[in-house]
Amino acid sequence: MVARRRRTPNLRVIEQFLISDLIRNDVDRPKECLEFREGESMSTEKMGRREFIQDASTAVLGLAAAPLLNANVSFADAEKTAEVQYRTLGKTGLRVTAVGMGVMNCSDPAVVARAYDLGVNFFDTARRYMGGRNEEMLGKVLRGKREKVLIQTKVVLAQNEKENRDAVQTSLRSLGTDYVDILLVHNLKTAKEVCSPAVTEFLQAMKKEGKARFTGFSSHTDMASLLKAAAQTSCHDVALVSYNFTHSNDLKDAVALAAKSGIGIVAMKTQAGGYKAADMGGLSPHQAALKYVLTDQNVSAAIPGVTTIEQIEECAAVMGTDFSRKDSHVLQQYDSYLQGRICTMCGGCIGTCPHGVAHCDLLRAFMYHDGYKNDQLAHEVLRTGDAMQKIGQCASCSSCVVTCRRALNIHAQLKTVHSVFA
Amino acid sequence: MNRPKELIIIAVLISLCATQIVFADTDPIESFIPKVAPEGWDLREAPETFTRETLFEHIDGQADLFVRYGFDKSVFAIYRKLDTSADKIDVDIYDMGNSLQAFGVFSRFRQDESPANIGLDSYMSDRYALFYKGKYFVILQATESNPSALKRLALDIESLILDSSAPPQEIGYFPKSGLKPGSIEYFPDGLLGHQFLKRGFKASYVENGEQKIEPQETSRIKDFRLFLAMFKSPQEAIGALKLFKENLLKKGKLAKTASARFGPEIVIGTDPYQGKTIVAQKGPCLLGAVGFAQDEAGERLLAALMREVK
Repeated sequence: MVARRRRTPNLRVIEQFLISDLIRNDVDRPKECLEFREGESMSTEKMGRREFIQDASTAVLGLAAAPLLNANVSFADAEKTAEVQYRTLGKTGLRVTAVGMGVMNCSDPAVVARAYDLGVNFFDTARRYMGGRNEEMLGKVLRGKREKVLIQTKVVLAQNEKENRDAVQTSLRSLGTDYVDILLVHNLKTAKEVCSPAVTEFLQAMKKEGKARFTGFSSHTDMASLLKAAAQTSCHDVALVSYNFTHSNDLKDAVALAAKSGIGIVAMKTQAGGYKAADMGGLSPHQAALKYVLTDQNVSAAIPGVTTIEQIEECAAVMGTDFSRKDSHVLQQYDSYLQGRICTMCGGCIGTCPHGVAHCDLLRAFMYHDGYKNDQLAHEVLRTGDAMQKIGQCASCSSCVVTCRRALNIHAQLKTVHSVFA
Repeated sequence: MNRPKELIIIAVLISLCATQIVFADTDPIESFIPKVAPEGWDLREAPETFTRETLFEHIDGQADLFVRYGFDKSVFAIYRKLDTSADKIDVDIYDMGNSLQAFGVFSRFRQDESPANIGLDSYMSDRYALFYKGKYFVILQATESNPSALKRLALDIESLILDSSAPPQEIGYFPKSGLKPGSIEYFPDGLLGHQFLKRGFKASYVENGEQKIEPQETSRIKDFRLFLAMFKSPQEAIGALKLFKENLLKKGKLAKTASARFGPEIVIGTDPYQGKTIVAQKGPCLLGAVGFAQDEAGERLLAALMREVK
């Protein structure tokens, strides 16, 4: 078994995953995939399956025959290549496809239709995306298919309840449905917020009124703390968090803890993007990165954000495939590329500088300069507060004691930034 | 004797105008937030600015969309109604780098057409106002129906934005006949949901749409689309057309005959997700019509689009 407590970045033990900790994909397609199974234990179903991946061959899906949009063309005309893999979304009992679709930035109905066609049944959107047009587009494409899909949307909690209720009602209207399967509160930032009365009372009301079957929260920052807080209560059914191969074991452990408590974990930002394939000699790590997230059986679904048919095909094709040595190699290359290049804001170095310098903030300047090739962005970082002064302080410091979990040469990077921008 | 004086005055005026133009481009974005609120309203909180790295803290994952469109920076402010603590208007002003990108993100947010004659183009409902002017995209959202305050505030913001950049010329290429109001959109990548089409414009049309279409009618009328994909060179456009053809061969149907009307580089067929499809290359562009029921309608409008693209 792979060591559960690792101090090193996850990628360093990927080879161990390959020989001892790979998943077996759930390849059954349940007829009642959307039904809530009372009393079902998510953990026994999901976590007891640590076996080698069987060499699953690609299966051809059943073809949906519904006419598509205005095209008057059957879905059946489209090629089917992916094998659908379902997982149980925590205590909700919902059976979600391991790969869902982050609809957020997509505005072409064809992409959603293609996702549906490929068997994807889990769609994530939010009221605020494109001023509501994103929900409207999703609702139109999924019209007539409501019982076959799971819709997750989000609400930004305002100070007054009426505003929140209006927002949810508008979402339902845009989506063309009486209920959403999962309603999340957008972007919680502190553990205190997770079970605050403002959050929980509103979400409970939405459930009670039948506007949401299940509820939860999303978070981009300090996710480990939020998940740990959520795991100690029964406030939330689902948590949507950033999760990818660059994240620390603290987050992985928090995900495990939350999943064990029955919270369905949905992973976003699974690709750890930022660097273009062209900059990495054509290396495209997207599938490998997605597979890596799905090797964690505590993750019920990943929702990569896609905007094109090619992207959803690439992502959906991950279902039913194993995390191979090739994937490991690709991710190691990707990680090597990122190692020494980007700070993943894991927070591991916070508080270790005796001079109180928050290095992870400053290192963004290097990432923008070296990775994004965008010195304007780097300048913006350096214009913040006394950033330039601190970088100067770091560059001239001869006794740096700050170490990075991802082997980032912090001192060297800050010296580079200083020499370029001072 | 008066002539030198006149020249001096003219020179001063010219230099003032030039200064104004320079300042128009360098004014801090915070200065576009009106300090004087519409009557009965108050600017309650100090404007907050966001950069690429902090925008997600304000609008979560939606920040990705703005970054794809070239987002540079933004400012956010809240106006509250004086007689009630609940009513408020949120204002976001985004610097998108240029008017093409500002139009692009505007086009992704507006719903059909409800123009308010603000900026280069605008959309307005009782709780929501959008417009773009030059490189700036502006969103105003009210918690309650407050159309007059919303419009007043939008006009005040517009008057503070001095960027006089023209709208993207490509908007004018699309034929007006049958065009669904407010349907022209710009995508920085993934046009029609295809990676290989990259960036370009898309617009919706109704067949036999010679007559004017009322905005309230648009949702129930079936439409088809014209698109204009733009590449760096004719070779790149031909390469994308080849990929389009391969895609149709693989997933849809490719017609055996091709109309000579649109030149030698043309693909005709049926896309499983877009419907009937006709795509032609002209210079560094691919132009196409998808989703039409009658060939004549698609071809006619495509021909009109082709005439405009130089």
